[in-house]
Amino acid sequence: MSASEFELLRTVTLGQYLPTASPIHRADPRVKLVAGMLLVLAVTATSSLAGLTLALALVVAGFAVARIPIGYALSGIKPMLPFLALLGIFQAIAIPQNDANTTVYWHWAFITLTARDALAVALLFAKFSALVWGLSLLSFTTTTTELTHGTEHLLRPLQRIGLPAHEFALTLNVALRFIPLLAQETERLMKAQASRGADFGAGRGWNFVRRFRKLIPLLVPLILATLQRAEDLILAMEARCYTGGKGRTHLVHFHARTADYALLALVVVVLAAVMAAGIGSADTLVWRAISTIWR
Amino acid sequence: MSTEAVVQSTPARKIVIAGVMGALAVFLGWTHLGFIPWVAGAALTIMHVPVIIGAVLEGPVVGTAIGLIFGLFSLLQAVLAPTGPVDVWFQNPVISVLPRLFIGVVAWLGYKALKNVNEPLALVVAGILGTLTNTVLVLSAIGLFGHLPWAALPPIAIANGLPEAALAAILTVAVVVAWKRIETGTRKSRM
Repeated sequence: MSASEFELLRTVTLGQYLPTASPIHRADPRVKLVAGMLLVLAVTATSSLAGLTLALALVVAGFAVARIPIGYALSGIKPMLPFLALLGIFQAIAIPQNDANTTVYWHWAFITLTARDALAVALLFAKFSALVWGLSLLSFTTTTTELTHGTEHLLRPLQRIGLPAHEFALTLNVALRFIPLLAQETERLMKAQASRGADFGAGRGWNFVRRFRKLIPLLVPLILATLQRAEDLILAMEARCYTGGKGRTHLVHFHARTADYALLALVVVVLAAVMAAGIGSADTLVWRAISTIWR
Repeated sequence: MSTEAVVQSTPARKIVIAGVMGALAVFLGWTHLGFIPWVAGAALTIMHVPVIIGAVLEGPVVGTAIGLIFGLFSLLQAVLAPTGPVDVWFQNPVISVLPRLFIGVVAWLGYKALKNVNEPLALVVAGILGTLTNTVLVLSAIGLFGHLPWAALPPIAIANGLPEAALAAILTVAVVVAWKRIETGTRKSRM
């Protein structure tokens, strides 16, 4: 049984905030949120290597401007690598892409590794890295409070048609705040029970009844302790006369400056190019260039 | 706190319970604590149990909000860290988000209908109905998009849905009975 088994959220860099006071930190959180959403949409929608390279370049440029060491961002992707490699292998083997005009690199039994397979794996990695790094950049440069206010401001149009936008933004904030608390509480419970002889390391076997019986003494106290903590928060909010979003004024008001509009315009243009790259012939050009270098 | 105290539901209470249970759903998914390996291939999940508990404690609106957080997280997880070909299907919000909005409402309806008859029984029913809503709606959405043939869906619903319903019912009863200090007849439950 290793110590790391209790450290549930240690390897996760996504969700942390790094105060380096860069122009990206100062940018309007609404702009950053919209930019992040557009990035996710553009990257999931495209399957062009040129487009994804462009998206990756945008994110790397963002890291440079935000003065965040790229190595730190890379470390966030490390725990996912083995799994990603597995997915890549799966994709290369299980999905045959044998068009007539593709180069065959390697052939063994029923497994054929072609240029198309290599492209599919490269696409998978590029897509994944662009997404994780893009969202990491958002979380590294924006505090939770800014994110909450930004979400609330962006959801304001929904409030007009009667949806509880303020309440939902606050709910999201409470949820974000409670995730690390849950991790702490779980560690505490696991250690307490391991010290009394519980064995959480026994992942062996498929005996699911045994697995579930081990989870019960962990989950039930976890949920009850969390509800108890929630009661404290409710009491604190009510003691400060919180009554919901109606008629509430705000301490924080966002004023988008020229720089913010410029940032948004830049992101929109680059992401439009990311989408457009799949339509034009840019992709074949990039692919031909890579194959030429390869030879 | 007296045993019979009726806690009044305020906006602060609804928001905090929704946030906390949403966090729990995300936490169970993130750490994979909420998955139990199962012979039928796909792991059993208890990630939707916070939705059921929240709906039982604070009503359908809170249940829907937690369902939304759960759905958005499973969408995000499918996009960011897909664990196989099945996760790619969940990159579609109609499969990952929409079905989850109804878990809380159905669980709450089941609980409300039986609450005055027998509260522990009402909790069991809420756990089962909430889980089946999740299973049936998600599988229907998968069928609708043609990822799997319709004939393949009922066996999956039975192989995964039924044990999940049982787990959800056990957890819902264990948590809510202890939290609300409901007398189960045999002995008074205490925290």
